[in-house]
Amino acid sequence: MTFLGFIFAQGLSALSQAAILFFIASGLTLIFGIMRIVNFAHGAIFMLGAYVGFTAAALTGSFLLSLLLAPIVVGVVGMAFERIFLRPLYGRRDGGAYLLLTFGLAIVLNELIRVIWGPQPLAAGIPDLLRGVVIVLGQPFPLYRLFLIALGVAAAIGVWQFLERTRAGLLIRAVSQNAEMVHALGTDVDLVRTGVFGLGCAMAAVGGVLAAPLVTAFLGMGTTVVIDAFVIVIIGGMGSFLGSLIGSILVGFVQVLGAYYFQDLALAFMYFLMLIVLVIRPGGLLGKED
Amino acid sequence: MVPKSWAGFCERLMLNAASGAGYRFEETSSRSLVDWRIGFAATAIIGVLMPFVLPQYSLTVLIEALIFGLLAMSLDLLVGYCRLYSFGHAAAYGLGAYSAALILTQLQLPLPAGIALAVLVTVVAAVPIAWICTRSTGVSFAMLTLAFAQLGYAMLFRFRDITGGSDGIVGIPRPAGPFGMSWFQGKTGYYYLVLGCLLGAYLLCRAIVRSPFGAVLAGIRENEAKTIALGYNTRAYKTATVVLAYGFGGLAGALYAAFAGFASPELFFWLVSGRVLIMVVVGGAGTLIGPILGGVFFVFLEHELSQVTDLWPLIFGSIFMAFVLFAPEGIWRLLTIRFKAVPDVPTADPSKKKSDAAA
Repeated sequence: MTFLGFIFAQGLSALSQAAILFFIASGLTLIFGIMRIVNFAHGAIFMLGAYVGFTAAALTGSFLLSLLLAPIVVGVVGMAFERIFLRPLYGRRDGGAYLLLTFGLAIVLNELIRVIWGPQPLAAGIPDLLRGVVIVLGQPFPLYRLFLIALGVAAAIGVWQFLERTRAGLLIRAVSQNAEMVHALGTDVDLVRTGVFGLGCAMAAVGGVLAAPLVTAFLGMGTTVVIDAFVIVIIGGMGSFLGSLIGSILVGFVQVLGAYYFQDLALAFMYFLMLIVLVIRPGGLLGKED
Repeated sequence: MVPKSWAGFCERLMLNAASGAGYRFEETSSRSLVDWRIGFAATAIIGVLMPFVLPQYSLTVLIEALIFGLLAMSLDLLVGYCRLYSFGHAAAYGLGAYSAALILTQLQLPLPAGIALAVLVTVVAAVPIAWICTRSTGVSFAMLTLAFAQLGYAMLFRFRDITGGSDGIVGIPRPAGPFGMSWFQGKTGYYYLVLGCLLGAYLLCRAIVRSPFGAVLAGIRENEAKTIALGYNTRAYKTATVVLAYGFGGLAGALYAAFAGFASPELFFWLVSGRVLIMVVVGGAGTLIGPILGGVFFVFLEHELSQVTDLWPLIFGSIFMAFVLFAPEGIWRLLTIRFKAVPDVPTADPSKKKSDAAA
C-alpha cells in the first residue's frame, strides 16, 4: 500500500461525497439566486427522491431508469408546491415567511414519507452494473464512487452550460439580476420561478437516488443533508452556482478526512469551516454582502 | 457621534413617523377592554387553582406545557421582537437542562440555587454564541443557530464521560433547600415552582420589550439600517437579546431536567427547535402571551392526539403551514382583535398590506 495511493483514494472518496452534496447544494443555491427563497425543505425533497427512486427501481428493475424517473416525479411535486403555496407569498415583505413555510413542508414531507413507506430504513443496495472495485494506484476503489464523481462532473458542466448557453438559462440569469425588468420585457417571470424550483428539486432528487445505495434511505436523512447543504451554500455564497461547487468540494474533503482522522469531531470541523468563512467574508466566498 | 438629545429627538420622530405609517407598536395593542393587570391576576389565580381541579396525570402534562410555554416565550424575544429566526433554540433548552443535570447530580446544591446556577451557565455560554450569530441576519442567522445546536448535539456524544452520550444523565435529584425548604419536591409543589417562574419571566420580558431597550429592538425589527443611522449599535442590542433569550430558554431547560429527572440528547435535537418555532408563530410572534398559549396548546394537543393517531406530526406541520399562509399574525392577535375597545390601527402588519395590494 503506497502512501500516494492512499492519499489518492482518500481524495477520490472525498470527491464522490462532494458529488452527492453538489446535487443538493446547487439546487438550493439556484432556487435562492432566482427567487430569494431559502428552501428549508430541500433536505426532505432529497429524501423524497431517495424513496421514490427506491420504489421506481423496485418497479422497473432498473437503477438507471429510477435515476431518470425520480427527478421527474419530485420535480413535478416541487413545481406544484411552488405554484400552490409559495406564489401567494411573493408580495410579502418579510422573507421569514418562506423559511417558515418550507420548514413546515419539511415536517409534513417527513411524516408523509413515514406514512407511505413506513419507519424502517430501506436498503437499496448498489446496482449490479456498478458493483465491484477498480484498482487505482494500487488501491482498490469502489466503482460506484467513481460513477458518482463522473456524474457530478457531468452535472456541473451540464448545468453551467445550460445557464450560459441556452435561452432558458439566459432568462434564469436575467430574472436573478432584475426580475421586474424581465417581467416588463414580456417574459412570464412566475413560470421561470416555477421551472427553477422544479429543477432545483429534481437535482436534489438525483442526489437522493445516488445517496440511497450508500447510506440506505432512512427517515431523517433529509435533516443532516439540509444542514450540510446550507453550510455549503453559506460557504460558497448564497446564490452563487460556482460557489456551491467549491463549497461542495471543500465540505466533501472536510467530511471524509474528518471522519477518517477525528471520528467524533467530523461534524464540528464542518461548522468550524463555516464559521471561519463567515467571520472573514459574511457573504460567503463568492457571495455578495447583504 | 450623535449628541444624546439629538438622538432622542430623532427616535421620537422615527417612532411618530412609523406609527403614522401604520406600524404596530406594543403601545397600540394594549388598548383592550380588559386591563392587562386584571388579565394577569386572573390567569395567576386560575393557575394556582389548577392542581385542585386537574387529575395527577393532567398536572404532569400541564407542567410540561408551561415549561414549553416558557421556552416559546423566550424564543419570541428573538422572532417577534428582532425578527431573528432562530432554528436552534434547542441549544438554549439543552444547555440549561444539561447544566442543571450536572449541577444537581455533582454538587449538593438546593434545587432553586442549582437552577439559578444552570441559568447563569447558559447565559455565559450564550455570549460567544450570540456574538457570532448576530454577525449575520436572516437565513445565515437561522443556519448559524441551527449549526450551534447541532454542534452541541454532536458534542454530547464526543464527551461521553461527562454527558453520558446517548443515555444522557439520569437520576437527577431535587435536593431540598435550607430551612426545611422542600415544598418543590412533590409534583404539586413543583408545579407552583414552574408557574412562578413562568409568570415572573413573563413580567420581566414584558418590562423588557416595553422599555427603551425594547423600543430599539422594535426599531431593529422595522428598519435596522435606520436604527444604525440613529447611532445605535444594533449588534450589541441583538447580542444582548439573544443572550436574554438563551437565559429564559435555559431556565425552561433546567426546569424540565429537574422535573423529568433526566437529560437526554434529544433536548438538543433540531426537532425541538422546530416545535418551539411553530409554537411561537402559531401563537403569535411579538406578543409574548401568544407563544405561551401556543406552547401550552400544542403540548396538550400532542398528548391528546398521540393517543389517538400517530399522524399528529403531520397535523402539527399542516396547521403550521396554514398559519404561515393565512394568519401570520397568530392565534393571540386573531383573538384580541375582536375584543379591542378602540379599533386597532388598520392592517397592522405592514407586510400584509403589500400582499393584499399585490393580489
